[in-house]
Amino acid sequence: MWASGREDRAMSAPGFTNLNSSSSSSQDSTPNGGAAPLYQNGPAQTYPYMHTPSGYYGAPPQQQSYPTIPAHSTPAPNKAPIMNRSHSANYYQNNQQHPLPQHHVASSAYSAPPSSAPPSQPYTTLHYSAPPPSNAQFNQQSFQQQNPPYATPGSYCGQQSYHTPPAQHSQQQQQQPSLVPAPAGGPGAPLYPIVSYPSAPRSSHYGTLSSYQSASTLGVLPTQTGAPLHQYSTPRSASTQPGHSVAPSSQPTVNGSTAAQAIVPRHYDQSHQASLSYDSYSGASHSSGGADADRPPSGTPSASVHSSPGHHQGGDTSSSTTGSASPVLNSFDSLEGGSFPDSLPPSSDMTNQAQPYSSYSYPSMQPAYQQRPSSHTESSPSHNQYGQPGYQQYSQPFPSLSQLSAALGGLSGVPELEVEALRPVNLLQERNLLPPRPLEAPEPNLSPDLKKVNCSPQTFRCTLSSIPQTQALLNKARLPLGLLLHPFRDLQQLPVITSNTIVRCRSCRTYINPFITFLDQRRWKCNLCYRVNDVPDEFMYNPVTRSYGEPHKRPEVQNATVEFIASSDYMLRPPQPAVYLFVLDVSHNAVEAGYLKFFCESLLENLDKLPGDTRTRVGFLTFDNTIHFYNLQEGLSQPQMLVVSDIDDVFIPSHDSLMVNLKESKELVQDLLTSLPTMFSQNRETHSALGPALQAAFKLMSPTGGRVTVFQTQLPSLGAGMLQSREDPNQRSSTKGVQHLGPATDFYKKLALDCSGQQIGVDLFLLSSQYADLASLACISKYSAGSIFYYPSFHYIHNPAQLEKFQKDLERYLTRKIGFEAVMRIRCTKGLSIHTFHGNFFVRSTDLLSLANVNPDSAFAVQMSIEDSLADTSLACFQAALLYTSSKGKRRIRVHTLCLPVVNQLSDVYAGADVQAITCLLANMAIDRSISSSLSDARDALVNAVVDLVTAYKSSVSNLQQSGLVVPAALRLFPLYILALLKQKALRTGTSTRLDERVFAMCEFKTQPLQQLMRIVHPDLYRLDNMSEQGALHLNNTVVPQPPLLHLSAERLSRDGAFLMDCGDAFYLWIGKCCNEMFIRDVLGCPSYASVPPNMSHIPELETPLSERVRAFFDWLQDNRAFSSTIHVVKDDASAKATFFQNLVEDRSESASSYSEFLQHVQLQVSK
Amino acid sequence: MILLTIIARIADGLPLAASVQEDEQSGRDLQQYQSQAKQLCRKLNAQSPARCILEAGDMYFHCLIAEDVCYLSLCEASFPKKMAFAYLEDLHTEFHYLYGKKVSTVTRPYSFIEFDTYIQKKKKTYVDNRTRRNLGSINTELQDVQKIMVANIEEVLQRGEALSALDTKASNLSTLSKKYRSDAKYLNTRSMYAKVAAVAVCFITLIIYVRFWWL
Repeated sequence: MWASGREDRAMSAPGFTNLNSSSSSSQDSTPNGGAAPLYQNGPAQTYPYMHTPSGYYGAPPQQQSYPTIPAHSTPAPNKAPIMNRSHSANYYQNNQQHPLPQHHVASSAYSAPPSSAPPSQPYTTLHYSAPPPSNAQFNQQSFQQQNPPYATPGSYCGQQSYHTPPAQHSQQQQQQPSLVPAPAGGPGAPLYPIVSYPSAPRSSHYGTLSSYQSASTLGVLPTQTGAPLHQYSTPRSASTQPGHSVAPSSQPTVNGSTAAQAIVPRHYDQSHQASLSYDSYSGASHSSGGADADRPPSGTPSASVHSSPGHHQGGDTSSSTTGSASPVLNSFDSLEGGSFPDSLPPSSDMTNQAQPYSSYSYPSMQPAYQQRPSSHTESSPSHNQYGQPGYQQYSQPFPSLSQLSAALGGLSGVPELEVEALRPVNLLQERNLLPPRPLEAPEPNLSPDLKKVNCSPQTFRCTLSSIPQTQALLNKARLPLGLLLHPFRDLQQLPVITSNTIVRCRSCRTYINPFITFLDQRRWKCNLCYRVNDVPDEFMYNPVTRSYGEPHKRPEVQNATVEFIASSDYMLRPPQPAVYLFVLDVSHNAVEAGYLKFFCESLLENLDKLPGDTRTRVGFLTFDNTIHFYNLQEGLSQPQMLVVSDIDDVFIPSHDSLMVNLKESKELVQDLLTSLPTMFSQNRETHSALGPALQAAFKLMSPTGGRVTVFQTQLPSLGAGMLQSREDPNQRSSTKGVQHLGPATDFYKKLALDCSGQQIGVDLFLLSSQYADLASLACISKYSAGSIFYYPSFHYIHNPAQLEKFQKDLERYLTRKIGFEAVMRIRCTKGLSIHTFHGNFFVRSTDLLSLANVNPDSAFAVQMSIEDSLADTSLACFQAALLYTSSKGKRRIRVHTLCLPVVNQLSDVYAGADVQAITCLLANMAIDRSISSSLSDARDALVNAVVDLVTAYKSSVSNLQQSGLVVPAALRLFPLYILALLKQKALRTGTSTRLDERVFAMCEFKTQPLQQLMRIVHPDLYRLDNMSEQGALHLNNTVVPQPPLLHLSAERLSRDGAFLMDCGDAFYLWIGKCCNEMFIRDVLGCPSYASVPPNMSHIPELETPLSERVRAFFDWLQDNRAFSSTIHVVKDDASAKATFFQNLVEDRSESASSYSEFLQHVQLQVSK
Repeated sequence: MILLTIIARIADGLPLAASVQEDEQSGRDLQQYQSQAKQLCRKLNAQSPARCILEAGDMYFHCLIAEDVCYLSLCEASFPKKMAFAYLEDLHTEFHYLYGKKVSTVTRPYSFIEFDTYIQKKKKTYVDNRTRRNLGSINTELQDVQKIMVANIEEVLQRGEALSALDTKASNLSTLSKKYRSDAKYLNTRSMYAKVAAVAVCFITLIIYVRFWWL
């Protein structure tokens, strides 16, 4: 009630509120951007868009959320954010001034459906709301009024929860289980009381969704999808308070508002003194639910994004119809309890716009606005809005919902978020598990301000977004605890800070970050070791605002990802220049494969784009059974080749003329590159002295360090590092253990360690048609922090697809950013310890990763354990600091800080589980296991992970007596992902897999960033021939359709369709036999199915709208990945379709079980 | 042989550019010399002599200060001084021409690291014996090099420490003497009290004596 009182006050002065809202909008931009502009002014090197960074990391989402609401009111899709705000503001005003009318509208919407008995009351309640004193307002008031009648504990809970966060948790959890059983009995019964609140907003969403569906061809979508939505929305509302379906709608708003208010005041007080009551915050956050973080991934932080949500909603309004469609009963229905029919019909009846309002928790927005002015913190508004959208994400199991969420993009967050994440899902009954859009990282349950500044999940992710308090709790959860990092990722905006002193904790050397606490103006408390440190004088000055005495406004404290320009204390030697050495195989085998010509062409093209400055140096070295050096000294008329045939004791023939300054010797380099391919075209030498060549490269590079790029096409057969073929082709498909996954010799590892010590990174391109023992060769890159590329069966004529991939990869490889002589250290809150690292690097001391080179495409994973109880802290923080020398000779430190809540309930741990991160970490662990032990061990361990989880969940959290496989909703995809993992090249058995390909897949697992890895493990499948405009994103004047994700099963394919499978490194466009002629004509440019060429690998640029849409979608998918993927058009009858069908992981393959079989197997194990 | 070249700003010792001799022989531990060079850059100030040579084991640091910038090179002891300073002069001319105006504004260490390219080229010409002969004529004007102060690097690096040691000793001395003085004063007063007391006792005895024996 406290909250409500506050609201009243706020509401009482309508005009005032309006002003606030408008002002708030302006403020919005300032806080986010506030930092930014200043930055520009600021001293040294800051990226122009300072403010964007903040947006990037979370601020933008808030704005987006705003637009969504307005969109409902006025479905104008592409409004600029400001416009949206204004809309909302108007709306607000309207409410206050004419509260009644609007409410009426809303009510009417509901009323229409009410025909069914139960709902009727709710509608009435809505009406009530109008009359109430402050009336103008939104749902909040209505809510208040409603409360008494309903006397639903839930609502109160919600409010209370804000005040005392912990209580909330417990309450929710308790309620949930207890309630759950009831619903099962009767549909009307409230399943999730708490959940119900959110339901109202959702229902509106649903409406939108439904419209979406309706608009889109219904036929396309499986009928189920439509149904689930209904169920979902309806059940929810019903569930909250059986009698009063409407109530929920109002309540959600209340929640939002209360949360916002509760937060705001505190925030206000505390804002100056950082972290105060985290507890209170957390509570609020719970209620409010998810946060902004999801948003950023969508990519373009700015207006375009905003527009998109708006658009979606517009679509939504019309769509409500689907929701009305009677529920197709799934297992879900039974679970949730019946859906209220009444609620559904109304939605359909409603005019689009009207409905959104009524159902919508607009109120939440408004409160945000109101408060916002008063408290300058932005967090509160974002909070409310987010909460609801976040909700949607979780609701994904229901297809219809999923669509909605898709429309809304990454918006997320709601108190019920947790509840939803915990919803027990019976895997044996629910078949539609996939969200409509690729899964986003779960929102950590943090206060909005923390959430706003938290590190992007693309950079830093934890398998458990709620850290268990003790190791015992972690063990009970049976989930791995670890971090997935992508530290050197390409970022669009990054605050760069130049200052003489880099503020760090004096005892643990943690860099100052947004999650520390300022005790007062002069002291700050480290969030990792809790030591109190002094704030240096220099830190008191804020270069962003050019003001003094505001240490908490410094960019270091406002951004979770920052980059410092290091002082000379961080240098052992002057920063090294960018040095690139290319080691090329020119033996007969290589000439046959024909890669040299394409490499030279690509390098020639990108010579100017190699990262570097005027100091950049390059060198070339070729080898067959001898080693050839090239003297490129400036002033020579043409390159001189120096041949060293003594491969047993390699020496460097000349010291200063082999690695030459690129700028000064450019003509010679170009000369060499043009002549190289022909120079060896007649080479008959079949031996390969790779080992000696690498030794020579090491000697050549050791004075400076740098990058060595090795191209190898066969098994090294001469000199040191010589290898034998170990593969037995007959064993390729054996189901028994796979041998020879480890290196045959430690030569490469030793050499790699030497290289690492001299700051040399070795990247390996293996283009081999025969077995080349990648397991041994890969060591040269693994320990020197290099990257590995493998092109099986590469041939420049016979395998154009590989050639194209090679060329594209090479272009990216040559031009991508690079950091030299890097080290990375990961620190975490006292009590947590890191014990295992995954990735390519060398662990120099216990926690220091030595990275001779660091590239933007490699990721790392670490496993952690909890050594001391975290009971005395509510937040756990992780900081990764990467110190590197840029290609321009600048020493920089990139610091990422992630903050996560600590929980003491098992259910909270499950609610915060990040299924993708868990899958990736398990994959890394399985690779280690298969090398150290055996492949079958690793596979068993993966299956056991699922079994353990199900058992643990069954015994501890869910007190449902349900039979079947029950897992929390947050982990509902876990068994599917594990099954997909088991079918990967790296881990599969029984299917013929070349050893090199298997080893390469393992290397990929270790180094690929999470998003990419997940696409490899579980490709995204879309249907392309009937994409609709509904839910499309509008980016930069192009419309990007957003078809829903499909399960990877052949039953989802149909002969009359065209399906796109996004495997991360390749797109497969599968064309059904009876595919729509129009699609083939408009997109592929072929008159008929029969005329589609068998090896088509591009989408022609046609002027048809369908083609434009498809290409826009491709471009959009392509946009945020580093290496461009090749497109393969697969005809149903083509031989290439095997690869396509191999990726349908839910189906049974020749040697692996289908998804349902897998589940049954798991169930069998569990019941044992 | 010129092993190491560092260009630093005098005002705060910020390194601006550097070049490290890179060849197989650099196996010898340059690390220690590098850190010495860094310390040296910090110690030097505007009052330091414009040219000096510092011994560091079997190496010499040649140091040239001009226009607020310090040019420092590490050479083997056998490397002619003339050549070393000619080399530094050369660097100075070029560096000042290229970056002279920007020197005072930069904040990042090694801001002009690209000057490395030039340094390496120059180094090559000076180290190469054949070209060195040709340079001989130019270097005759550098006769005054002979007068350059030679000091041991340890001394320079530790001079400050010695001074501070002296300072502490002196302050110790003064506190001690102060203590001595107060002690002396105290003793004086004590002895005075004793004297007064003795006199008083005599006097009283006299009075008593007079009182009882005379009356």
